[in-house]
Amino acid sequence: MFYREAGQYKTSYAADMAVFPIRQDLIGVLLMLAVAYVAIPMFGSEFFLSSVMIPFLVFSLAAIGLNVLTGYTGLISLGTGAFMGVGAYACYKLTTIFPGVNIIVWIVVSGFFSALVGVLFGIPSLRIKGFYLAVATLAAQFFLQWCFVRIPWLYNYNASGAIEVAQRTLFDIPITGARATPETRYFVLLTIVVVLTWFASNLVHGRIGRAWMAVRDMDIAAELMGIKLLDTKLLAFAVSSFYAGVAGACMMFLWYGGGEASDAFNINQSFNILFMVIIGGLGSLIGSFFGAAFISTLPTVLKFGLPAIGIPLAGATAEHLTHIVVGGLIIFFLIVEPHGLARLWQIGKQKLRMWPFPY
Amino acid sequence: MRAPGDGHGTTAGEVLLAVEGVSLSFGGVKAITDVSFDIRKGEIRAIIGPNGAGKTSMLNVINGFYHPQQGRIAFKGETRKRMRPYVAASQGIARTFQNVALFKGMSTIDNIMAGRTLKMKTGFFWQCLRHGPALNEEIEHRKFVEEIIDFLEIQAIRKMPVGKLPYGLQKRVELGRALAMQPDLLLLDEPMAGMNLEEKEDMSRFIIDVNNQYGTTIALIEHDMGVVMDLSDRVVVLEYGRKIADGTPAEVSADQKVIDAYLGVPH
Repeated sequence: MFYREAGQYKTSYAADMAVFPIRQDLIGVLLMLAVAYVAIPMFGSEFFLSSVMIPFLVFSLAAIGLNVLTGYTGLISLGTGAFMGVGAYACYKLTTIFPGVNIIVWIVVSGFFSALVGVLFGIPSLRIKGFYLAVATLAAQFFLQWCFVRIPWLYNYNASGAIEVAQRTLFDIPITGARATPETRYFVLLTIVVVLTWFASNLVHGRIGRAWMAVRDMDIAAELMGIKLLDTKLLAFAVSSFYAGVAGACMMFLWYGGGEASDAFNINQSFNILFMVIIGGLGSLIGSFFGAAFISTLPTVLKFGLPAIGIPLAGATAEHLTHIVVGGLIIFFLIVEPHGLARLWQIGKQKLRMWPFPY
Repeated sequence: MRAPGDGHGTTAGEVLLAVEGVSLSFGGVKAITDVSFDIRKGEIRAIIGPNGAGKTSMLNVINGFYHPQQGRIAFKGETRKRMRPYVAASQGIARTFQNVALFKGMSTIDNIMAGRTLKMKTGFFWQCLRHGPALNEEIEHRKFVEEIIDFLEIQAIRKMPVGKLPYGLQKRVELGRALAMQPDLLLLDEPMAGMNLEEKEDMSRFIIDVNNQYGTTIALIEHDMGVVMDLSDRVVVLEYGRKIADGTPAEVSADQKVIDAYLGVPH
């Protein structure tokens, strides 16, 4: 009814190539931004911000990173957790050595360290593909995780071996550390996510994105067309790890506020993010958000939402039940739509465009 | 269609690609043995032969995808050592495939735009912003791609994912993707395999138009002898990896060795 492109004529290639060719899509995105920037901080409780929105945004960023690699370039990686860890530790070291520089700068810069490590472990991808590459990235996961525990320099020789997040400010407002409010942390994180998502969207819609997808769909044809396989794959690794690294830094500094980092960046985390990408939709940025929302927030919603609406759940039962429900839903969604939630979203939009006709 | 061997292009003379004494083997299997021929500027050159004669291997050698053990290849007078496909592509050799090798998850436009990758120069930074130079470049190349889309008459499918297109159209999109590279030499590996008569006639027309309009030199592998005889200026015939004949379609079709290769000889 409202979702029609009727009457919207495109008179230039620029308009036709726009990321949101239908006006309603653009309006929808602006609405979402308004909700994220105004409504959620205004009406959301402290708990909602710090336990639902912040984890969701961190995981979205990591999922976008993995989606660049797995969804767009067709390279499976099981090292996302470790690459996130590289970002977190890089950020920790940087802000310890240069405490005067703004923490937001270091969060972004730590992504470059992660990108460097990602490229290093991406080199085998020229020769090995598919499951074998997954195993090769598993090596990255274990090696880096070993480093996080065994190299005390990385955690400044703390007795606890944990990352300690000191207070850092922006315009005298604390954004990290114990005195930073969830609202500030949320705003900082949201801004990082919005900007990086915009970059990712630009990348995948342009020359570089086409090269990635060409390598994914038919690497021989891509090579014979002059797309350099190694360069393209390494760039995908770099961009992917950059996003993972920034996500990891955000996770430690804006969400956890420090802690036993080596546990946060283990193989489970890598799998978690891979599941987000698969369930959200491979090769779709919006799918990354769907997947992150599904996997990271559903357990919280079930755990705290059910008691809120009068279904009493306590302790261990709740824990077990969330596992069962989330697991069941994952299987359900994969059967209903193996291409992920993003495809369901697309189908829904298509149905709306055609409404009230079936096709 | 043109009369067979009407001399178009044959007088052009200048050699674009020379293949000299090329041998290629995989382990003990000899795919190509001591083959020499040349492709002249502006002509349509056909490579024919029975199955397994080494035709596709020959194209892969020209592409720089396989490295022959012996012999040399000179493109635009430049002898190539070991060459990567990237170098062949940037020198101006484009290619379509026997089994359609499109990027199935992408739309027709994106597939053809991907063919422009080598011509696009804006760096990573501008690509991130997708404004300024990156957007201008994108629009400029989109214009060129739209010309190809007009030329191949595939306007209606420009936004469709190519995986969903019928086979004949996929072949056409693949030709478009190769044309987007503005190649000097276009290699077509069985452009008409699996097509019906009408589609074959369409494709033949496109090949002739590409040759006439853009002056692109074309080397094609084809099994349909009618098409080969009609389209090509000169034909090289391979059998078991060896060259058994080379000449105009009329000469080749009268050659006893060729007739034997295709019809078989009593032993």
